Amino acid sequence: MKGVVEVMEKAAVSAVSDAANQASPAAPMVRRSVGSGSHAWGKIVSRVVPPLSVFVFVVFVWEMVLRLTGTAEYLLPKPSDIVQAVSQNGHNLVVSVSTTIMEAVLGFALSAILGVAVAILLALSKTVERSVYPYAIILQTIPIVAIAPIIVIWFGAGMNAIVIIAFLISFFPILSNTLIGLNSTEQNMKNLFYLYNATKMQTIWRLRLPAALPYILAGFKISCSLSVVGAIVGEYIAGIGGLNGGLGYAITVAATRMQTAYLFACGLSAAVVGIVFFLLINALSNRLLRSWHDSAIAG
Amino acid sequence: MNTAQQTAANPHPGSPGTPELLVGMDQIGKVYPNGTIAVQQVNLRAGEGEFLCFVGPSGCGKSTMFNMIAGLTEPTTGQLSVLGTTPREARKQNEIAFVFQEHTLLPWAKLLDNVTMPLTLRGVPKKARNEEGERVLELVGLKDYRKVLPRQLSGGMKMRASIARALIARLKLLLMDEPFGALDEITRQSLQDELLGIWRQDQKMTVLFITHNVFEAVFLSTRVVVMTPRPGKISDIVPIEAPFPRTDEFRTTSEFGKYVRSITEVLNH
Repeated sequence: MKGVVEVMEKAAVSAVSDAANQASPAAPMVRRSVGSGSHAWGKIVSRVVPPLSVFVFVVFVWEMVLRLTGTAEYLLPKPSDIVQAVSQNGHNLVVSVSTTIMEAVLGFALSAILGVAVAILLALSKTVERSVYPYAIILQTIPIVAIAPIIVIWFGAGMNAIVIIAFLISFFPILSNTLIGLNSTEQNMKNLFYLYNATKMQTIWRLRLPAALPYILAGFKISCSLSVVGAIVGEYIAGIGGLNGGLGYAITVAATRMQTAYLFACGLSAAVVGIVFFLLINALSNRLLRSWHDSAIAG
Repeated sequence: MNTAQQTAANPHPGSPGTPELLVGMDQIGKVYPNGTIAVQQVNLRAGEGEFLCFVGPSGCGKSTMFNMIAGLTEPTTGQLSVLGTTPREARKQNEIAFVFQEHTLLPWAKLLDNVTMPLTLRGVPKKARNEEGERVLELVGLKDYRKVLPRQLSGGMKMRASIARALIARLKLLLMDEPFGALDEITRQSLQDELLGIWRQDQKMTVLFITHNVFEAVFLSTRVVVMTPRPGKISDIVPIEAPFPRTDEFRTTSEFGKYVRSITEVLNH
């Protein structure tokens, strides 16, 4: 168990230090090295070694500077403090992480199903789209932290409320992306289906939905990381609610107890969960589009 | 051969008494909402087994003609009958097929699934559909590619697949909108040969073929409908009396050159 946590922790620190140093380029870099598993070893080494050496260097400097200046741990913990905090609270951290993962996955699954379903309904009729879509946008613009307390009041503090908050935050990107995808089918193709007397549902299932797949998956990619954020925000507000507390809950507790090192560990774990979730969806996306869509064909 | 020509005298070209008449256009005009006159005073009759090419520069209303016969737009004036009824009703009989300049193949579907798509939409069982798919793929020489995705094919092969899809069901009327416009000359000529072969084999199929290429029109047609723009109208209908089968030699005969010259003259008029 300890070993697993350490491995996760290392990955977390690596990923986050990458993200901190070069926020946007980090993700594509990871993506590429995952996507092309068949490449030669040399290529993998040349991709892994530079960021890894930056990571080792940053951790080393971080550790040494704090040691030399004697900065208090509660202000800024050393990497070794974080590792220690993880090993001391290993069990709690695993429980928190798995709780958050469950909530995020449920929230995401809900938003994926409903997002695509609602987009299909809106795409079937321009009138419905014009009358309903503005409200979807309004729903999106209300800050989630403003809605969250109401949801906790309605659904009780706990899993339900947290999943719904995760759902709300990840729903809109899937809805809007799917809708754009469904509406951007080539006119020629639509004409062809029309000329061959296709019904509306046939056109949706056999033409518009498959053609929208790249858009839908792009929505999934945005929403999967958002669902982790949503779950943590939900836990922040809904608290423990009879279940095991997730990462959001662990963060609030660690903050009130001034356990800064553990706070760092929680934050980094959240980042790892988000990144892993993204990589999984990205792999799924590549798998589905690999054979026919330009975005996924290995160049 | 149906020799009916630009006969404004016949007020009912689509009347039930003439079953061999596939397309009848009587004083057809189309004005777009913005006031553009796409075509005016078009009179045309296409009978069974004809191969009619519409040739003309862009803006002459060729595509509008196609869209009206297909039922994508409606004429603003005149009488239009397809298979003895309105274009929309005619389409429901599943005896009309369409080929566009773009191959319009589904990029995610294997070739066999692509060519059988019209049957899938009609709810034909998979086994029957695939048998028919194999038949048309063989017809266009793509038998070995049934499990291939469109992106793995060349432009000419994609167009062949597109034609195979059009031929999938027993059809009476084949509408082709500049199908070979995006192909190189060599591929274009071999596809012309193949298309003529398929059409001759069928005997009864009527082809309406839109092109801006006079050579292509003369090579393929039984009659060439010459259209001129501003406003789009039929300037002449030229019967091509050369016998079938037409081979590459036909392209170099003086007869061929004479047809091309006379059509070009009408176009430049």
